[in-house]
Amino acid sequence: MTRTSRARRRGGVRRENRGLFAIAAVAFGLYVCFLVLPLLLSLRSSFTNENPLRATSSFVGLDNYREAVGDTQLRASLVFTLILAVGVTVAANAVGVLFAMMLNRTTLSYRVMRTVAFLPQVLSGVIVGFVWQTILTQDGLLNHVLQRLGLIDEPFAWLGSPNAALFSIGVVVAWILTGFTTVVYLAALQNIPLELHDMAALDGVNRRQRFTRVIWPMIAPGTTISVTISLITVLKLYDVIAVLTGGGPANSTQSTALYIVQLAFTSDRFGYASSVAMVLLLLSAVIALSVTNVLRRREVNL
Amino acid sequence: MIRKPLLAACLIGALALTTACSSSDSSGGGESTLTYLTFETPSLTSTFWNDSIASAQQQAPGVKINRITSPNTDRDAYAKQLQASGQFPDLLQSITPANFVGAGLLQPYDQTWVNANFLLPEGNALKGKVYIPPTNSQVIPQVFYNKELFTRAGVQPPKTWAEFLAVCDKLKAAGVNPIELGGADPFAAGMPLVGIISADVLGKNPNWLQDRYAGKVKFTDDNVVTAVDKYRTLVGNGYFDKGALGVKYADSITRFTGGKSAMYPMGSWFLGSVPKETADNFGVFPWPTDDGSLVIPFTVGGSMAISAKSRDIPGATKFAQAWSLDPKNLKALIEGDGAFPMLKDKTLDDYGVTVTQVFKDSYRYVTDENTKVSSISWATNDDALPPGVNNDFYAASQALFTSSDVKGELTKLDKAWDTATK
Repeated sequence: MTRTSRARRRGGVRRENRGLFAIAAVAFGLYVCFLVLPLLLSLRSSFTNENPLRATSSFVGLDNYREAVGDTQLRASLVFTLILAVGVTVAANAVGVLFAMMLNRTTLSYRVMRTVAFLPQVLSGVIVGFVWQTILTQDGLLNHVLQRLGLIDEPFAWLGSPNAALFSIGVVVAWILTGFTTVVYLAALQNIPLELHDMAALDGVNRRQRFTRVIWPMIAPGTTISVTISLITVLKLYDVIAVLTGGGPANSTQSTALYIVQLAFTSDRFGYASSVAMVLLLLSAVIALSVTNVLRRREVNL
Repeated sequence: MIRKPLLAACLIGALALTTACSSSDSSGGGESTLTYLTFETPSLTSTFWNDSIASAQQQAPGVKINRITSPNTDRDAYAKQLQASGQFPDLLQSITPANFVGAGLLQPYDQTWVNANFLLPEGNALKGKVYIPPTNSQVIPQVFYNKELFTRAGVQPPKTWAEFLAVCDKLKAAGVNPIELGGADPFAAGMPLVGIISADVLGKNPNWLQDRYAGKVKFTDDNVVTAVDKYRTLVGNGYFDKGALGVKYADSITRFTGGKSAMYPMGSWFLGSVPKETADNFGVFPWPTDDGSLVIPFTVGGSMAISAKSRDIPGATKFAQAWSLDPKNLKALIEGDGAFPMLKDKTLDDYGVTVTQVFKDSYRYVTDENTKVSSISWATNDDALPPGVNNDFYAASQALFTSSDVKGELTKLDKAWDTATK
């Protein structure tokens, strides 16, 4: 019997690994404190009529969930969130692939450009929101430029009508996410063995064929990660919209996350807000799992 | 060996943080530390708050103030967040008491003190109790106008609704955008609707909001629909900028003061933003009624509420009373925030203020005899909307900018009201 195995038997773990266990225990503790516990508290709250400004609250069973089914504002916020999620995911991933292919070189200038492409991802959503607000507002930079170029006669309300605001938010969020998708696709591209490119060149394939037959199938794992994370990011989107439009005009750009905050802190309905949060959590989980499932299967089939 | 001291240091740090976070702690020297929720605007700056706190502290020795600043002007929402996380402040500036009284969070002021010091002691009372000293008042909205643009279009300030429409028509014909609207900010988008409903509905029945609470009237009643239809007329006739819902509140001020629009319905706090050098170019008139009678949508408030959960209510009260009666604070509020002072036995001169002519013209609507009604969605007394309904009111204002479904939007408001008062 070696010294190590004896030590393992005595203390259960190696001496040098004890520190790692302590770190894991702290991480687990934080996970339970800040994720599991709030989730369970929220679940409990979703069955009550809890209101922070009333002294008492009582159990109301499934009433909140029944109300959620008939809540037209919730439905509108879910439709808005889903449209935004799909649109942004498609746009951010398409542009991400394009950027990754353009930046897949190792010279200094390309490395600088990669950093620039990644920048939006590291900025806080609130800051991005404020910056884009000054660009998109009625007297903002975009209208000035377009008027100067003679492309529009009078300022366009980029955030002032439901459809334009949806489009504008979509562009801003896609812009933020493109930094992330570009990096993921760059990593995926660099995993493609050079031989494959060489063989493709020997076979005399053109650029389009090289993309559809070699690159696109080989970056499938990157697509799975990138699409799933993009979808989840948009499904829980709050900060950018809160700053850009505040959910307006007339609640037309109210994401479900924004609606939850409004229910909790404007309408003081903690219980109902919790039930809507549960609905969003469930929906996000179902969408994320389904999409991951489909994309993983595609990876295998390829 | 290193790990243990590190762990100990973390624990001590965490404990120190916990201690630092607990509010209203009484320290050894008989001095209590109170948290005070404030907010900042271009006119109510950090310096204003710090100076006013220092000044009031001189009148309330033994009280130490820890100022908390709301991340935006919606201090009600922030106060609720603080309450939800167990950090409800000891003192709260310019909140809506109706939101908090139900949970027993606020301490009423001594009525004798209120009666002795203010012109309208019951101005913002809730069920007979005063939770915010009525130090100043606002008219919400008034219509500010650009005299030069009026002259260019050959029009005079209107008194009746028909005259108002005619003025809008002439301004539009003269190539001037008639009405400025900062529609991207819900509260600013709501200004015309606040004016119309306050003037037309509350002007005829000042008890309307109480009747709504009692279920005797509804937003979908014909008289409200007729009034709100007027807003659709303004939108339909193109009297607002087409992209008004994309204009931020702050931009709407610079657009109006920069001469981009001829009229600007806004709360009287706009007086604090009138540029001193061109102040004479701006005039003011009340929101017009059908028959030209003067109806002034009015709200009283201005000072701070006291938490009933504070560990030092006497100290908090002493500080709040000192702050509320300090003429220096009133001076800053009058000059910078267009507030109309409501302290007893004092004229404007007593505050040593320098105000513009348009301020004096505005203030006259407060001091003169006329029909004063609660400014709908702004009143903080018994006429305050049920918690959360303000949001629906503003959303309806934005929705009606693009939708002609007046009845539909008012139905939503009735529903929101009923849910909130259930």
